[in-house]
Formats: sequence, C-alpha cells, structure tokens
Amino acid sequence: MARVRIAVRDLSKTFGAGPREVAAVSRVSFDVHDKEFVAIVGPSGCGKSTILNMIGSLLMPSGGEILVDGERVGPRAGRQVGYVFQKDTVFPWRTVEQNIALGLQYRGVAPAEIRARVGEAVALAGLQGFEDAFPATLSGGMRQRVALMRSLVVNPEILLMDEPFGALDTHTKLNLHAELLGIWGARQQTVVFVTHDLSEAITLADRIVVMTRRPGRIKLVYEVKLPRPRDVIALRESAEYLREYGEIWHALGEEFQERAS
Amino acid sequence: MNGGRLGVWAWRIGILVAFLGAWEYLTGIKAISKTPGLYWIDPFFISRPSVIAQRFAYLTSDKVRLTIWQMALSTIQSTLWGFLVGITTGFLAGLVLGRYERPARILDPFIVAFNSLPRIALVPLITMIFGFGLLAKIVLAWSIVFFIVFFNTFQGARSVDADLIHSARFLGASERQIMTSVVVPSALAWTFASLTPSISFALIGVVVGEFIGGESGGGLGYLIIQSLGTLNAADMMVALFVLGVIGIVMALGIKQVEARLLRWRPEYQKR
Repeated sequence: MARVRIAVRDLSKTFGAGPREVAAVSRVSFDVHDKEFVAIVGPSGCGKSTILNMIGSLLMPSGGEILVDGERVGPRAGRQVGYVFQKDTVFPWRTVEQNIALGLQYRGVAPAEIRARVGEAVALAGLQGFEDAFPATLSGGMRQRVALMRSLVVNPEILLMDEPFGALDTHTKLNLHAELLGIWGARQQTVVFVTHDLSEAITLADRIVVMTRRPGRIKLVYEVKLPRPRDVIALRESAEYLREYGEIWHALGEEFQERAS
Repeated sequence: MNGGRLGVWAWRIGILVAFLGAWEYLTGIKAISKTPGLYWIDPFFISRPSVIAQRFAYLTSDKVRLTIWQMALSTIQSTLWGFLVGITTGFLAGLVLGRYERPARILDPFIVAFNSLPRIALVPLITMIFGFGLLAKIVLAWSIVFFIVFFNTFQGARSVDADLIHSARFLGASERQIMTSVVVPSALAWTFASLTPSISFALIGVVVGEFIGGESGGGLGYLIIQSLGTLNAADMMVALFVLGVIGIVMALGIKQVEARLLRWRPEYQKR
C-alpha cells in the first residue's frame, strides 16, 4: 500500500460554547494514501465539509489532530494543498485566462511559462474561445471548470474538493466527472472529495468514507471495486455499480431513517 | 428601435423649446398696459432667455475683467483637484481601516463626529485658514468627497468574500498579494459606486466656497454672489447654465470611466 499522505486522528470539532455548544464532528479517524481518491459522503449537516475545512487549515480542530505528510497541520495549509470550493470563488474582475493564471502569478512563474500552462489548461477544460470572457458571462458549469483548472494548474499534490459540482445540473456534472477522472488519471493527485451525492462518490472514488448524522462519526469506510479507467456514463448501468450503490445506500438509508423517527 | 430613440429626442427638444418659448413669452406680457415695470411674471427675478443669451455673449467677450470661461475653468480646477485628492485619500483610508479592525474601532467616534458636521459650516473657517484662492475650495471639496469615498471603500474592504481570500491563499498568495489581488479589486467596486455622488458633491463644495471666496479664486460661485449684489438675475442664470453643463459633462465622464473599470460586472456586460 502507498504511503499515508493525510492521517486524520481522533478528530473532533465543536462549534459555540456552553449550552449552545454543538458537536459537528466526533472522534473521526481515517487515512488517505498517496494518489488515492477518497470521497466523504453523508447526510447534510454531518460535518463532512467541516472535516475538509480542518484538513485545509480553514478551521482548527477542537480535538484530535490531522497529519499531512507526517506533519501536524497548522494555521496555514501547505503549498502542496489545493482547494476547490462549493461556492463560486472565481474572481469576477478577472477573465478566464487571468483567473487560471492566478496561482502561477502568485508563485512568480515566468510570463512565458504562465501563458503556456494556462493555454494547456484552457484546452484541457474545453474553454477555448472564452479565454478573455469575464465570469459573469459564463454558465455555472464553466465557472466551476475555471475554478478547477485554477487549482490544478499549480499542480497541487493534494486536492481538497468541497462539493465542487453540487450546484450543477446532472448533465454538466457527468461531463465534469469525466474530465476530473481524466485529469486525475494523468496527474495522480491525492484527492479528498466531499459530496452528498452517492453516485458521484462511487463514480469517482477509490474509497468512500460514509458519515453518520450529526455529530458526524464514521459509519463505515467502503472500498469501491469498480475497475479504472471508468466510463462515467456506462458505469451507471453496470451491475457492479448498482450493487455497490445498494450496499452504501442501505448504510446511509439507516441514517436518514433515524432522523425521521 | 432607432425610431423610438428618435422619438424620445424629438420629445426632449420639444419640451425644451416649449419651456424656453413660454419663458420668453410670459415674461414679456405687461400686467397693466403701458405702465412700465409691471409684469405678470417679472423678468427682474427670473430674467428672460434672450437677455440671458446676451449676457452670456457679453461675459465671454473681452469687455469683462474675468470672462465666464476663466470662471468656469477655476471652478472645474477646484472641483477636479478636490475630487482627485478626495478619492485617493478616502480610498486609502477606507482600505486601511477596513482591513485593520482595532484602529477602525478607536477612530470610529471621531470619524462619525466630523462627518456629521455640516460641511457648509466649515466654509468660513477653511477660507480663513487657506485663504481666498483655489486651495480653500479644494480643501472644502476634499472634506466632502473624502468621507463619501471613505465610507464606501471601508464597507467594501470589510465585506470582501472570505472564500475569495481563502482560495487565493490556497493558490499560494502572500498577504501582500491577497491585498492587491483580492481586497483592492473587491473594495474598488464599492469605491466606484461612490464616484458619481462624489463629483456632484465636490462641485457643491466648490461653489459654496466661491460664494465667500472673493475674486482672486473667482469661479462661477463668485459670479452668482456678485450678481446677487447687483440684483442681476440674468448673470446668475448664465452661471447656473454653465454649472449645469459642467455637472453633466463630469458625471458622464465618470460613467465612462466606471463602465471601463467595472466592465467585468454583469450590468456592464453587453452580449
């Protein structure tokens, strides 16, 4: 087995204090190995985004710890970490090209190389012809493509994704799944992907961490055995996919039932 | 489409012509025939378009010590300087205090107190300190523009989307790069929204300053107050007309700059 890149140890997070204290995440432990694609799935409010925020240093844990490459995460994420937000975080005052170039500019990459790498990313995301467009003129799916490419162009070894396709329609989502899998297959990042969409998790991930309702605990860790490379469309009709979906849905379904009672 | 626009312009010109015509006509009807000086609508107070045009021609000629163009230039200069210094200082102060909470908290009551002071009340004091030249008018315009821009930028710098800052940080931005690439552009959008009111208020400040400013920094405000002294409504009307044109041109100029700098905004996207 590949080395452990992210180690989550006994992680807890509470918000507020005193009688208004709410436990969001309770004693969660799991590992993410090098070049592994791990999805975290659970009902809304289960603390899955909170876990991702803590891995990305956006939130400090209340208990336990997170090690990235053996080092405890501090108040600032390391340079090897990229993050794609659920919310649209494309800079509205920059064009598509200027947005994708951001990370390279921050790192002081030479203009000629920036141009080459941005051009490559634009082509990869199918954004040709929109290089000089401002985000206000783009669809939600295109904006999220820009956000994805902006994170990928700096080649982060670890990519944290917080429901990046949550606001998109099914068709756009499937296209982006295919693109993401293609890029991931070529670049082999370590990915932690948070979603509430089970089929998305099965399509993309090697392993799925299934969370309980609040306070979020790990219900089970599920190994997805579907072979790679995966065809995101054909996959959905395969017997293995349906079987895996059923198994996890069963586990998740209990969580939804508990809430209803 | 084009015909619709043409129609709109035809209406506008029609209204203007009707207005000027009625003004000219009504101020010419005597109330009691042959008795001089008694009118239904007395041109002594509101003058007449024909007289105003004559006075305008006279004021542009070299028969006067200070032509209307010189006065207009003086007013424009004071306004633009006050505006430029006002937006730069207001922007910088708003940006700094918007990002640093502690000094903002400390200074808050002073800022509110100074801003609640009616600026007009400062005119004599500012004139006393800065003299009768352009400087006093610039300071006056600045004191108004500064606060408008300051409050807007302050709000803008405070309401920068935290997730934009986070994503910049994940892309490797230093604190300085976050300032220049995230905070400044976000705040600028708010600053620009304050430019149109700023230029109008700068003009107000300058004209009021000119009311008591004397001849050395004599602008259109000086002409207005001189005309009050000589009970000359026509000259006042000339000054008001020129001020109106200046105001419109400046506001249109700002709109152009704004549309250029904020071209990324949905409301400026033409496609």
